[in-house]
Amino acid sequence: MTDPVPGITPGADTADTADTARIIDQGYRSYDGPRSGLPGAMRSVVRFSVRHTLGLGRSARHKILPWLAVVIALVPAVVFVGLAVVLDIDMIADEILPDYHEYYDFIGFALLFYCGIVVPDILVADRRNGMLQMYLSTPLQRWSYLVSKGLAVVLTLAVLTVGPVLFLLVARTIEGSGPDGFAEWITVFVRIVAAGVAISAAFTAASLAAASLTDRRVFATIGVVALLWGSGGLTLALVDVADMSERLYAFDLGGISDELKNRIYGVEGLAPLGGEPDLPEGESLPGAGRAELSTLFVVAANLAWVAVGSAVVWWRYRRLALSR
Amino acid sequence: MPETQAAGSNGVPQPYARPVTIVETQALTQRFGPTVALDGLDLQMQPGVTGLVGANGAGKTTLLNAMLGLRIPTSGSVTVMGFDPQKAGHKLRAKVGFAPERNVLPDEMRAVDFVRHLAEVQGLPRSEARNRASDSLWLVGLGEERTRTLGTMSTGQRQRVKLAQAIASDPKLVLLDEPTDGLDPVQRSEMLTLIGQISRDFSMNVVLSSHVLEEVERICDHVVALDAGRLVACGPITELIGAGDGITLELVDVAEPAGSVEAVESALRSGGLDVQRTETTLRLRGADFEELCDRARDAVAAAGARVRRLETRRRTLEDLFEDAPR
Repeated sequence: MTDPVPGITPGADTADTADTARIIDQGYRSYDGPRSGLPGAMRSVVRFSVRHTLGLGRSARHKILPWLAVVIALVPAVVFVGLAVVLDIDMIADEILPDYHEYYDFIGFALLFYCGIVVPDILVADRRNGMLQMYLSTPLQRWSYLVSKGLAVVLTLAVLTVGPVLFLLVARTIEGSGPDGFAEWITVFVRIVAAGVAISAAFTAASLAAASLTDRRVFATIGVVALLWGSGGLTLALVDVADMSERLYAFDLGGISDELKNRIYGVEGLAPLGGEPDLPEGESLPGAGRAELSTLFVVAANLAWVAVGSAVVWWRYRRLALSR
Repeated sequence: MPETQAAGSNGVPQPYARPVTIVETQALTQRFGPTVALDGLDLQMQPGVTGLVGANGAGKTTLLNAMLGLRIPTSGSVTVMGFDPQKAGHKLRAKVGFAPERNVLPDEMRAVDFVRHLAEVQGLPRSEARNRASDSLWLVGLGEERTRTLGTMSTGQRQRVKLAQAIASDPKLVLLDEPTDGLDPVQRSEMLTLIGQISRDFSMNVVLSSHVLEEVERICDHVVALDAGRLVACGPITELIGAGDGITLELVDVAEPAGSVEAVESALRSGGLDVQRTETTLRLRGADFEELCDRARDAVAAAGARVRRLETRRRTLEDLFEDAPR
C-alpha cells in the first residue's frame, strides 16, 4: 500500500483531489519575481570572492595558502591561551597572555603572507580567465565590481587582523583577566574591530593596487612584498639613519598602520612585545619617532594609503580594455 | 520605419513608448588606433533571432561590446531596448544575458555554482538563482552533469554552460558571441536547435554572432551582415535572401561543341538576364523560376550545347557578401 500524499485524504473523491494536485518540477520557465539589482549583484560578488579567496568550495590545494595565513595568525593566540589554561595560575596567566595591542606583532607576517600570496589572485584571476568581462556584462560597473572586490579583501583580511585578537579577548574574559565591566569590555571590543578594519583597509588598498598593475600573480606578489617591506626599510633608513623628517614615516605602510593601531588602543611608543629593551643612552628603537607624529597626521597618512591605492586600482581599471 | 522606444535624458526608456526595435545604432563608429572596427553603422534589429554575420575581424564582437556598454563608441550612438548603454548600462545589462566567445569558465568551479553565481549577479534572489541554475542546465542538456567541475567538461558542454548562464536570469535579450565555436557538426546542430527553442518557447530575443552563414540562415529571423566594420546588409532574412523569389539556376559544365559556353552566355545576356560565369558553369539569377528554365533551354538548344547538370539554388547569405560593393 502506498503512503498517502500530503494534503490529500485517502479515499477522497478525485474531484476533491484535483484542487490540491500540483506540478513539483516545472523545469525552466519565465521569471517575474523581484530582482535585487546592483546591491544584490555586489553582495553576490563579495560573498563569492570571500569564499573563493578562502578556498571554500574549491579543491584542497586552493585552501592551503589562505588557511596557512590564518593558522600563522591564530596559532600564537591558541598557544598562549592553552598555556594559560594548563598552568591555571591567574598571576602567571596574566603574564603569559599578551596584551591586545601587543598581539599584532604576531599578525604582521601572516598579513604580509596573505597580502602577497593570496590577495592578488582576487583581481588577477578575473582578468586572466575572462570573468571580468562576464561580471561587467551584468548590472555591475567597474566601480561596483572593484568596491565588491575590495570589501571581500577587507573582510578576509579582518579574519587575520580581528579574529586572533578577538579570540584573545574572549579567552581573557573567560580566564578572568579580561576588561573590567561591560563598558570596558565593549571599549576593548570596539578597539579590536576598529584597529583590525583600519589595518585591513590600508593593506587591502596597497595590495590591490599592486595586483591591478600586472596580469602575472608572481609579479603582483613581488610588488606587494616590495611595497610593504620596501616602504618600511626605505623610510627607516631615511628617518632613523639619515635623520630626515619624521613625517616620512607616512610612507611606511606597515609602520604607519601599526601606529594608527597604537593610537586606537591609546598606547604610546612602540610597545614591543616583552617590554622596552635596555638601549644605550641616546639611542631608540627603529621607528620610535612615529610616536612624535600627531594622531591627525597618522590618521591622514593611513587614509592617504587607502586613497592612493584605490586611485591606482581605479586608474588601471578605467583604462582596461576588455576585448575587441 | 519601425517604432522604437525613446530614451530620456538619463538614458532610461520613457514609459509612453513601446519597444519594437531591440537594437538601433546611428553612425556608430569604433576605432582602435588606426583600425576602424565599426564604420558608421546605421542598423536596426527587430525582435526574434538576429544573426550577426561576418568574417573574423568584421566587427561582430565589437558591436556586441558596444551594445553592452563595455566600450565607449568613438562616435555615433547605440540604443538597446530603449536604453543608452553608456548612460544606463547597469539597468540595461540586468535585462541582457551574454555568452562571450572566449573561454571564461573557471576550471575548478562546478557548473551549477558558476551559473548560480552569475544568476545572482544578474539580480536573482539566492534561492531563485539556485533553482534556475539547475533548470537552465537541464534545459541545455547538462542536468546530469551540473555538479561536474567546468575544467573536466568538453568544449561542447562548456558552450552549453555559457548558454545556460546567459539565460538563467530570464533576460529579455540574449547576446551569444560565436556560440558554436569549436563544436563538431552534430553539436553545432544541437546548439542551434537549442537557441531556436529558447527564443521560440521563452520569448527571448537573441542576437547570435557567427561567421558560419548556414547557421544564421537556419535559425535567424533577421540578419545583420558586417564586412570589415561596414554594414553589408540588415533586415529580415526572407527579404535579404528571398523566400521563393531570387532563384538561381546553374548550368554546370556547358560543353561541346567548343565555344558553346560563350554562345549560351551571350544569348542569355542579350535576353537581359543576370548571368555569372565560372569556367564552364553559368549562373542565372531571376525572380521567376519557370522563365529562367525556358530561357536557359532556348539558349542551350540554339547553341547546340550539352549541359552536364542543372541545379537550382536559393539565394544565400554568401551572395550578400559577394554582391556587396568593395
